[in-house]
Amino acid sequence: MNHKVDSSESQILEDEIVELERKLQDAKSRLKARSNGTAISAPPAKVLQSNGPLAPSSHHFLLLLADSALPLGSFAFSSGLESYLAHTRPASSFPAFMKLSLSSIASTTLPFVLAAHRNPAYLIELDDTLDAAMMCTVGRRASVAQGRALLSIWDRSLSSASPPGVSLADIQVLKEFTILLRSASPTVSSDLPTASAHLGPLFGAIAHILDMSLGQTAYVFMLSHVKALLSAAVRASIFGPYHAQKVLASVEVQEGIQEVIKREWDTKIDDAGQSVPVMDLWVGRHEMLYSRIFNS
Amino acid sequence: MTSPFPSSSSAPGEGRLIVRLLPHSVSALSTITFQYPLKLISPSPSAHQKSVLVFLLTYGGGLVGGDRVHLTIDVRPNAKLSIVTQGHTKIFKSPSRDVVTRQQLRVNVEAGAGVCLLPDPVQPFGGSVYEQSQIFTLQDGASLCLLDWVSAGRTARGENWDFRAWSGRNEVWAAPKADAKARLLLRDNVLLEGDEAGSEGKLLKNNMHGLGLFGTLILKGPLLESLAAFFMAEFSVLPRIGARDFRSQEKVDKDSGIVLSKQELWRRNRLKQEQDDGLLWSAAKVRGCIVVKFGARTVEGGRTWVGSILKEEGSVETHFGEDSLMCVR
Repeated sequence: MNHKVDSSESQILEDEIVELERKLQDAKSRLKARSNGTAISAPPAKVLQSNGPLAPSSHHFLLLLADSALPLGSFAFSSGLESYLAHTRPASSFPAFMKLSLSSIASTTLPFVLAAHRNPAYLIELDDTLDAAMMCTVGRRASVAQGRALLSIWDRSLSSASPPGVSLADIQVLKEFTILLRSASPTVSSDLPTASAHLGPLFGAIAHILDMSLGQTAYVFMLSHVKALLSAAVRASIFGPYHAQKVLASVEVQEGIQEVIKREWDTKIDDAGQSVPVMDLWVGRHEMLYSRIFNS
Repeated sequence: MTSPFPSSSSAPGEGRLIVRLLPHSVSALSTITFQYPLKLISPSPSAHQKSVLVFLLTYGGGLVGGDRVHLTIDVRPNAKLSIVTQGHTKIFKSPSRDVVTRQQLRVNVEAGAGVCLLPDPVQPFGGSVYEQSQIFTLQDGASLCLLDWVSAGRTARGENWDFRAWSGRNEVWAAPKADAKARLLLRDNVLLEGDEAGSEGKLLKNNMHGLGLFGTLILKGPLLESLAAFFMAEFSVLPRIGARDFRSQEKVDKDSGIVLSKQELWRRNRLKQEQDDGLLWSAAKVRGCIVVKFGARTVEGGRTWVGSILKEEGSVETHFGEDSLMCVR
């Protein structure tokens, strides 16, 4: 564990160095521009360029993974929101639910995202352990559906564009994982799957290969969850798109995400668990709804 | 001065149980040892008992801040063990967050054997810090029925999830085989962190959303197969949430004249009880185990519910004997 903490701390320091070097370079180029009397603003094509190793493409992939157009199918899942509304009507409150949902996802899944980013070689093991720790049918289905979609995106779209200098061993891990997943025939209902493809560990591993930092990965993972909740809230007619954007932009969401990431940063995967037990009841009882617009 | 007595081999709170099968298919204890504050009692065996009954007790009826209990149990092939308690396991206040009261249970269940653990709920008092870890290693054909539940504390004194911290871990492992290492089948980990001193909001209370009791029931193995199927079947026929009755009044009158079968009648009463006690539950199949999660407004509501289902289905009583159910009725 100490080793992991060290590596994450040195990761933070490395990120900081890259950031500072970028600023220095930026300031130098501005000074140069000033003395040359040319335009001060950077050329538009270079907006995302910086001088850290692999940094340009990592920004690129950060934006891709954070994009709501990433075809994961997240819009089909409400992570228990729909069931929560049905169980608590008319006293339901979206902000209250979002807080519970953030805490719950962070305590159950975020340690697996972080662990897979820190060491993608353990992907198969992480996937299996997370599969054993998911206590409700609906939640498992949602996690596996999005995980498989992400693996397909990697396979068909991202892998051919992976940044230069990427570790071949890490790519090999994903290849092996895909083979393992395909070899487990879905028609045979086995009690113990060899691989399930849950979203959390795959997201961590792919973000690592695409050279995103650990902090970025955790933030994007949690933010995507908030975005999926808000998109579900809009379609469940709780509020409109402007209000959703307002919530997404709010300080509460920013601080809420930072807070849970800080809380789970050093959590070992063996100590991950449910911090909001009633969430398992809501998500599990989603199947009991008379009418549903979401898959979870 | 050195003690004239031989040094004790076991540490405080340690306990050991070994259950094996005697001729004529009677399960019996071959080892029972324990150290303060843990106490184990087993009534004298009878020739007709379906399983060995052991009371898991503590001196003074609870665990004081910093107490540790570590019980290791082996159940040999085809033997059966039931564990119960006498009243809630009370967890007393800890002087600070660092003083953790721990209860650890390690159980090895061999082929064809069964363990039924149906204790009373854990009752963490205000200010307590508790960590529970129950790890079961099952060989092929072993059976497990495990109930783990926690209450909001001394509700009569106005406590409502006022402890400092509570965590409950239940793990089920498939025993290592010749060609493979032990494999984790299920890890159910609930982590409840209380509010920090001085924080104004009642965060934990809000997280629990009006529940006064939260429980998990884990079923695995051939002895519990029919109970597991029963839970899944009952879950699938729960009335749909938000469904409306579109029948005409005439049809309703006609339908109410239909004589319900005994099971339908029981189900109707149970559903009414679920409604009255604010009981929510869900059942899921997780890698060969059935996990039932439930929450109720009151401890008694939860107890009545789980007891009623176990009694109606009947296989726990058939395989483990009537006494194994004493905490849930």
